[in-house]
Amino acid sequence: MGRTNNSLLCTENLTKDFGKLRAVDNLSLSLEEGEIRGLIGPNGSGKTTLMNLISGIYKPTSGEVYFSGKRIDRLSPEGITHQGIMRTFQVARLFGDMTVLENMLIPAFTQGTGKREASHRAKELLDFSLLGRLSHEPARNLSGGQCMLLQIVRGFMRQPLRLYLLDEPFAGVHPTIKDVMIRTVQKMNREEGVTFLVVSHELTLVRRLCTRISVLHGGRLISEGTMKEVANDPRVIDSYLGG
Amino acid sequence: MKKISELKWYSLSLPLCLVVCLLPFWTGPYYLQVFTIAFYYVVLASSWNLIAGYTGQFSLAHHAFAAIGGYASALLVTLFGLPIWMGILAALLSSTLMGFILGVLCLRMRAIYLAIATWAFAESVRIFLSMTYKITRGDLGLAVPKIFLGTGRAVACYYLFLGLAAVTVLVIFLINRSKMGYYIRAIRNDEMVARVMGIHATRWKIFSFIISSGIAGIAGAFYGHYNGLLTPVMVDFNEMAFIVIMVVIGGIRSIAGPVIGAIFIEILTETFREFGEIRMVVFALAVIAIARLYHEGAMGVVRRLVRWISGRKQAREGVT
Amino acid sequence: MAMGITFIYGIMRIINWSMGEFYMIGGYLQYIIITQFLGVKQWYLGVVLSMLGVFLLGMVVQRLLIRPMFQGTVEQRTEYATIVTIALGVLFMNLAVIGAGPFIYSPPGYYHNTKLITLPISGTRFIAFIGTIILLSLFYLFLKKTWWGRAFQGAAQNRMGIQTAGIDVFRLDQIAFGIGVALAAAAGALLAPEFYLHPKCGSIATMKGFEIIVIAGLGSIPGVLLAGLLLGLIESLGSVFLNPSFRDVYGFLFLLAILAVKPAGLFEEKERVA
Repeated sequence: MGRTNNSLLCTENLTKDFGKLRAVDNLSLSLEEGEIRGLIGPNGSGKTTLMNLISGIYKPTSGEVYFSGKRIDRLSPEGITHQGIMRTFQVARLFGDMTVLENMLIPAFTQGTGKREASHRAKELLDFSLLGRLSHEPARNLSGGQCMLLQIVRGFMRQPLRLYLLDEPFAGVHPTIKDVMIRTVQKMNREEGVTFLVVSHELTLVRRLCTRISVLHGGRLISEGTMKEVANDPRVIDSYLGG
Repeated sequence: MKKISELKWYSLSLPLCLVVCLLPFWTGPYYLQVFTIAFYYVVLASSWNLIAGYTGQFSLAHHAFAAIGGYASALLVTLFGLPIWMGILAALLSSTLMGFILGVLCLRMRAIYLAIATWAFAESVRIFLSMTYKITRGDLGLAVPKIFLGTGRAVACYYLFLGLAAVTVLVIFLINRSKMGYYIRAIRNDEMVARVMGIHATRWKIFSFIISSGIAGIAGAFYGHYNGLLTPVMVDFNEMAFIVIMVVIGGIRSIAGPVIGAIFIEILTETFREFGEIRMVVFALAVIAIARLYHEGAMGVVRRLVRWISGRKQAREGVT
Repeated sequence: MAMGITFIYGIMRIINWSMGEFYMIGGYLQYIIITQFLGVKQWYLGVVLSMLGVFLLGMVVQRLLIRPMFQGTVEQRTEYATIVTIALGVLFMNLAVIGAGPFIYSPPGYYHNTKLITLPISGTRFIAFIGTIILLSLFYLFLKKTWWGRAFQGAAQNRMGIQTAGIDVFRLDQIAFGIGVALAAAAGALLAPEFYLHPKCGSIATMKGFEIIVIAGLGSIPGVLLAGLLLGLIESLGSVFLNPSFRDVYGFLFLLAILAVKPAGLFEEKERVA
């Protein structure tokens, strides 16, 4: 797993400690361009920590993260975004006092896109994800599921979006919205070549959406492969059933 | 829907603007002074609203920047005999610089610590100004040459401060509509997410600090040259409380809110001057009531009114 | 003083800017109690009573103003807390001016001047010192040994957690606020003869209190003790070696310096960001 291969994202011996607690332990993982990768594992296995490490919110205790061959683990969150990496949060974090449309415009503005052009794309995305009629609502008025959806759709405003990290996007979301989410992800992956890393506990959705799965346990990568391979891996079964 | 409310704003504000512009011809010197001071507070309130209301950096040092600007200009003019416009420039430079320094210091602080730190800063400035009485004449007050060839003509000053207030409000308005406006509002809502969206939070926070402190500094400088006297009372916490009161009652996070709040409170303060402390009690109660019950302040009421009116209009016209 | 501020912060995560005014109220209450009812000899009773009075006042304030913050009827919490407590401070201060007049009251000294080993010490400061030690020790014991105390510690660490344990957080908040301001009142009552009573006496206390907790880092009880001593040291040293009239400024500058470098004080508590 060196940086010489053509993987899009690659972590090398990534470790993160919080005092005595080792949240991520010597993790080496790589993503190919164009994949939709699932990231599963029991609670506390380090999935969110990994997301935070990649997106620049945490700095690793040791190890590196490479994106398109370039080292990114020392960058600030803004810097990471400017590489073309976006992420969502487990709890939908929007700009509550701003309207849905204004929320959408921000990622485009930071790229230097003008208001008219950005609004155009925003409307397209909002309409596709059935949020169009809420454009001028303050974001805090949205339901939980709509917030998650908006969070996801907001990330697509960044062009080009190369890597998108989704942290538990389906948690507590209405089935119809889940459908919209999946369709949107697939469309973006197909049409604009966005690579995804999706953390989720909902294995049926993960099977439906993701091509490959990585399994974490105790901060370590214990298995990787297609859903079938991983599901039959005794280590995985152990980790979910055992402790 | 948006067009209707914009038209309503214009139709309301035009007659008001006319009144304001022609005021000197109707009233005597006392009220002229009250309004002049009111406009001074409009500048302070609006600029504080930028950093505290829109960017979410609850600075309690705003009055200190006005004082820094005021004293900088006054000292330069009295001690070195420089022309007033140079003093004003110096005021701008010094308050902007201090704003920058304070902004940098406060970058990583959480909201609560920011308030404490800025408050400590302001108090330090106050004590400093008091203690260096050899230069600043401390509590006795620093005599300042008046503007307009030492005459400080009331009418001219009225228009001067009116102009300052108008320019300030315009600047804040333009900033709010621009990308910067989006960025600082995002920062206030959720700084981490703002950064994840690509906003260089540090840059914009400092920028916001600089702009608001610079404006305050200029205002303070002009105030000095208008009033003829500067004392460290300017940096009393009461002044900051006033600014907060004005913005909260008028409507935090609105363009017209600080304007309304500043003018309203200043007029009330002057009118009821003989009641002394009761004024402050009433103001404090009003602030508590508004913060507790109706967060948006006076502007919130106005907005609701406008929406209600245009809503009824639409219903009557049969628009869905 | 600082203990009170930090205690309230620990439980409710807000800063009460009107602590100084509660200090002042404590002082005034004490004065009234001594001069009207009890007489100087039983001044310590007066301290306890004024603490009680302020405690009740605090609970009322909390119920009306602070509690809604947590019940979802108010939006921006930190901003709201700051605005409301500042306004409260202004309110109390001006009410004091109206009620008691802008005069300075001087309660009679509690104790005669004595000697601490070889250093002469004013009786009042001595009493204040002893009183503080007693109060702080009682407070410490309260926190560690009693059920209530442990409940507070739990609340400070995890608000949501203790709710699941079946404790009424709101009740706890109310009492915590009451205790916090009662501590301020105690400080006011104890220090009144030394620093005199007037409507603005609260602001100096607020100043020092804030400096201490900022240096210590909010939420850290032992840090407060250390920081208090540290502040006293810095002020004295500064006064001796540099210009004494800038005495208060040294504390401020120190505070600013600490905050710039360690934005959460010396003994900071980490917060989960994402």
